[in-house]
Amino acid sequence: MPPKPHRVLLDRVSGYADEAAAYMRRRRAFRRPFARLYYGGGRGEDHAADAEVGGELFVAAGRLIELAGQKPKS
Amino acid sequence: MIQEARASGTSAIFTHVPDDETSARASGDSAESALAFLAEMSPDLRGAAILDGDGAVLAASGEPERWGDDAAALFAAADRAEAEPVEQIHVGTEQGEVFALRHAGLAAVAVTERFALASLTFFDMRMLLRDLAGGPSAP
Repeated sequence: MPPKPHRVLLDRVSGYADEAAAYMRRRRAFRRPFARLYYGGGRGEDHAADAEVGGELFVAAGRLIELAGQKPKS
Repeated sequence: MIQEARASGTSAIFTHVPDDETSARASGDSAESALAFLAEMSPDLRGAAILDGDGAVLAASGEPERWGDDAAALFAAADRAEAEPVEQIHVGTEQGEVFALRHAGLAAVAVTERFALASLTFFDMRMLLRDLAGGPSAP
Protein backbone atom coordinates (compact mmCIF):
# COMPACT_ATOMS: atom_id res chain seq x y z
CA MET A 1 0.00 0.00 0.00
CA PRO A 2 1.52 3.37 -0.98
CA PRO A 3 2.20 5.86 1.82
CA LYS A 4 -0.27 8.67 2.30
CA PRO A 5 0.66 11.81 0.34
CA HIS A 6 1.11 13.95 3.45
CA ARG A 7 3.55 11.35 4.82
CA VAL A 8 5.63 11.66 1.67
CA LEU A 9 5.68 15.43 2.03
CA LEU A 10 6.60 15.27 5.72
CA ASP A 11 9.40 12.81 5.04
CA ARG A 12 10.77 15.00 2.31
CA VAL A 13 10.70 18.14 4.47
CA SER A 14 12.30 16.26 7.36
CA GLY A 15 15.01 15.03 5.01
CA TYR A 16 15.82 18.55 3.87
CA ALA A 17 15.86 19.81 7.47
CA ASP A 18 18.23 17.00 8.49
CA GLU A 19 20.52 17.84 5.59
CA ALA A 20 20.54 21.51 6.54
CA ALA A 21 21.26 20.72 10.19
CA ALA A 22 24.15 18.47 9.21
CA TYR A 23 25.53 21.17 6.93
CA MET A 24 25.41 23.72 9.74
CA ARG A 25 27.14 21.30 12.14
CA ARG A 26 29.93 20.69 9.63
CA ARG A 27 30.21 24.41 9.02
CA ARG A 28 30.64 25.12 12.72
CA ALA A 29 33.19 22.34 13.13
CA PHE A 30 35.41 23.12 10.16
CA ARG A 31 35.13 26.83 9.58
CA ARG A 32 38.35 28.75 10.11
CA PRO A 33 38.94 32.51 10.25
CA PHE A 34 38.91 34.11 6.83
CA ALA A 35 39.07 37.49 5.12
CA ARG A 36 37.30 37.84 1.83
CA LEU A 37 37.06 40.87 -0.42
CA TYR A 38 34.51 41.32 -3.18
CA TYR A 39 34.83 43.59 -6.19
CA GLY A 40 32.55 44.79 -8.93
CA GLY A 41 31.09 42.00 -11.02
CA GLY A 42 30.94 39.65 -8.05
CA ARG A 43 34.61 38.73 -8.13
CA GLY A 44 35.92 37.66 -4.72
CA GLU A 45 39.42 37.20 -3.29
CA ASP A 46 40.45 35.38 -0.12
CA HIS A 47 43.34 36.70 1.95
CA ALA A 48 45.22 34.50 4.38
CA ALA A 49 45.77 35.77 7.91
CA ASP A 50 49.55 35.43 7.54
CA ALA A 51 49.64 37.55 4.38
CA GLU A 52 50.15 41.31 4.64
CA VAL A 53 46.69 42.42 3.55
CA GLY A 54 44.99 39.57 5.37
CA GLY A 55 46.78 40.45 8.60
CA GLU A 56 45.74 44.09 8.33
CA LEU A 57 42.15 43.07 7.64
CA PHE A 58 42.09 40.85 10.72
CA VAL A 59 43.52 43.61 12.90
CA ALA A 60 40.98 46.14 11.62
CA ALA A 61 38.13 43.64 11.99
CA GLY A 62 39.29 42.80 15.51
CA ARG A 63 39.04 46.46 16.48
CA LEU A 64 35.49 46.65 15.14
CA ILE A 65 34.49 43.46 16.95
CA GLU A 66 35.93 44.82 20.17
CA LEU A 67 34.10 48.10 19.62
CA ALA A 68 30.78 46.40 18.98
CA GLY A 69 31.15 44.29 22.11
CA GLN A 70 28.94 41.35 22.89
CA LYS A 71 25.29 41.24 22.04
CA PRO A 72 23.26 41.60 25.25
CA LYS A 73 21.41 38.42 26.17
CA SER A 74 17.69 38.94 25.73
CA MET B 1 46.80 51.74 11.51
CA ILE B 2 44.09 54.29 12.21
CA GLN B 3 46.63 57.07 11.87
CA GLU B 4 47.79 55.53 8.62
CA ALA B 5 44.27 55.47 7.34
CA ARG B 6 43.79 59.09 8.30
CA ALA B 7 47.11 60.07 6.80
CA SER B 8 46.38 58.34 3.54
CA GLY B 9 43.29 60.44 3.15
CA THR B 10 40.28 58.92 4.82
CA SER B 11 37.98 60.82 2.56
CA ALA B 12 39.46 59.10 -0.46
CA ILE B 13 38.61 55.72 0.98
CA PHE B 14 34.94 56.31 0.56
CA THR B 15 34.98 58.27 -2.64
CA HIS B 16 35.19 55.24 -4.87
CA VAL B 17 31.43 55.33 -4.89
CA PRO B 18 31.18 58.74 -6.48
CA ASP B 19 27.61 59.66 -5.80
CA ASP B 20 27.92 62.76 -3.67
CA GLU B 21 24.35 63.81 -4.18
CA THR B 22 22.92 60.71 -2.57
CA SER B 23 25.34 61.06 0.33
CA ALA B 24 24.17 64.57 0.92
CA ARG B 25 20.56 63.46 0.97
CA ALA B 26 21.13 60.81 3.61
CA SER B 27 20.54 62.66 6.85
CA GLY B 28 21.65 61.62 10.29
CA ASP B 29 18.08 61.07 11.44
CA SER B 30 17.19 58.76 8.60
CA ALA B 31 20.47 56.92 9.10
CA GLU B 32 19.62 56.39 12.77
CA SER B 33 16.23 55.02 11.79
CA ALA B 34 17.80 52.78 9.18
CA LEU B 35 20.29 51.46 11.71
CA ALA B 36 17.52 50.69 14.19
CA PHE B 37 15.66 48.89 11.42
CA LEU B 38 18.76 46.85 10.56
CA ALA B 39 19.20 45.87 14.21
CA GLU B 40 15.57 44.77 14.32
CA MET B 41 15.92 42.77 11.11
CA SER B 42 19.19 41.05 12.03
CA PRO B 43 19.11 39.09 15.29
CA ASP B 44 22.83 38.33 14.98
CA LEU B 45 23.84 41.98 14.80
CA ARG B 46 26.07 43.28 17.60
CA GLY B 47 26.72 46.74 16.25
CA ALA B 48 26.85 48.72 13.05
CA ALA B 49 27.57 52.10 11.55
CA ILE B 50 26.58 53.99 8.44
CA LEU B 51 29.01 56.41 6.84
CA ASP B 52 28.67 58.96 4.11
CA GLY B 53 30.87 59.31 1.04
CA ASP B 54 33.47 61.30 2.99
CA GLY B 55 33.77 58.73 5.72
CA ALA B 56 31.78 60.77 8.25
CA VAL B 57 29.60 58.69 10.53
CA LEU B 58 25.89 59.28 9.94
CA ALA B 59 24.79 56.78 12.57
CA ALA B 60 26.48 54.27 14.81
CA SER B 61 25.46 51.91 17.55
CA GLY B 62 28.22 53.13 19.87
CA GLU B 63 30.97 55.71 19.80
CA PRO B 64 30.68 57.36 16.36
CA GLU B 65 34.27 58.57 16.26
CA ARG B 66 35.71 55.12 16.92
CA TRP B 67 33.35 53.53 14.41
CA GLY B 68 34.52 56.07 11.83
CA ASP B 69 38.20 55.44 12.55
CA ASP B 70 37.94 51.67 12.61
CA ALA B 71 35.78 51.53 9.50
CA ALA B 72 38.27 53.76 7.71
CA ALA B 73 41.10 51.46 8.75
CA LEU B 74 39.21 48.43 7.47
CA PHE B 75 38.44 49.98 4.08
CA ALA B 76 42.01 51.29 3.82
CA ALA B 77 43.43 47.82 4.46
CA ALA B 78 41.06 46.29 1.93
CA ASP B 79 41.86 48.87 -0.73
CA ARG B 80 45.55 48.15 -0.42
CA ALA B 81 44.94 44.64 -1.74
CA GLU B 82 44.32 45.71 -5.33
CA ALA B 83 44.11 48.78 -7.50
CA GLU B 84 40.38 48.34 -7.85
CA PRO B 85 38.33 49.67 -4.92
CA VAL B 86 36.70 46.97 -2.85
CA GLU B 87 32.92 46.71 -2.83
CA GLN B 88 32.28 44.27 0.02
CA ILE B 89 34.41 43.02 2.89
CA HIS B 90 33.69 39.93 4.96
CA VAL B 91 36.04 38.92 7.76
CA GLY B 92 35.20 35.95 9.96
CA THR B 93 37.06 35.38 13.21
CA GLU B 94 36.58 33.29 16.32
CA GLN B 95 35.15 36.34 18.10
CA GLY B 96 32.63 37.43 15.51
CA GLU B 97 32.19 38.51 11.92
CA VAL B 98 32.60 41.85 10.23
CA PHE B 99 30.72 42.92 7.12
CA ALA B 100 31.41 46.13 5.24
CA LEU B 101 29.78 47.39 2.11
CA ARG B 102 29.97 50.38 -0.19
CA HIS B 103 26.83 51.19 -2.09
CA ALA B 104 25.13 54.22 -3.60
CA GLY B 105 27.68 56.69 -2.30
CA LEU B 106 27.42 55.43 1.27
CA ALA B 107 29.15 52.78 3.33
CA ALA B 108 27.96 50.47 6.08
CA VAL B 109 29.89 48.36 8.55
CA ALA B 110 28.30 45.67 10.70
CA VAL B 111 29.59 43.30 13.36
CA THR B 112 27.64 40.11 13.94
CA GLU B 113 27.81 36.90 15.90
CA ARG B 114 29.75 34.04 14.32
CA PHE B 115 28.03 32.13 11.52
CA ALA B 116 25.70 34.93 10.53
CA LEU B 117 24.39 34.29 7.04
CA ALA B 118 26.59 36.43 4.83
CA SER B 119 24.27 36.73 1.86
CA LEU B 120 21.36 37.89 4.03
CA THR B 121 23.48 40.33 5.98
CA PHE B 122 24.90 41.89 2.82
CA PHE B 123 21.44 41.99 1.28
CA ASP B 124 20.00 43.81 4.31
CA MET B 125 22.90 46.26 4.35
CA ARG B 126 22.58 46.91 0.63
CA MET B 127 18.85 47.56 0.88
CA LEU B 128 19.44 49.86 3.82
CA LEU B 129 21.98 51.95 1.93
CA ARG B 130 19.87 51.98 -1.20
CA ASP B 131 16.87 53.26 0.75
CA LEU B 132 18.98 55.80 2.58
CA ALA B 133 20.45 57.10 -0.65
CA GLY B 134 16.92 57.51 -1.95
CA GLY B 135 16.26 60.40 0.41
CA PRO B 136 15.07 61.36 3.88
CA SER B 137 11.73 59.60 3.53
CA ALA B 138 13.42 56.20 3.50
CA PRO B 139 13.15 54.05 6.68
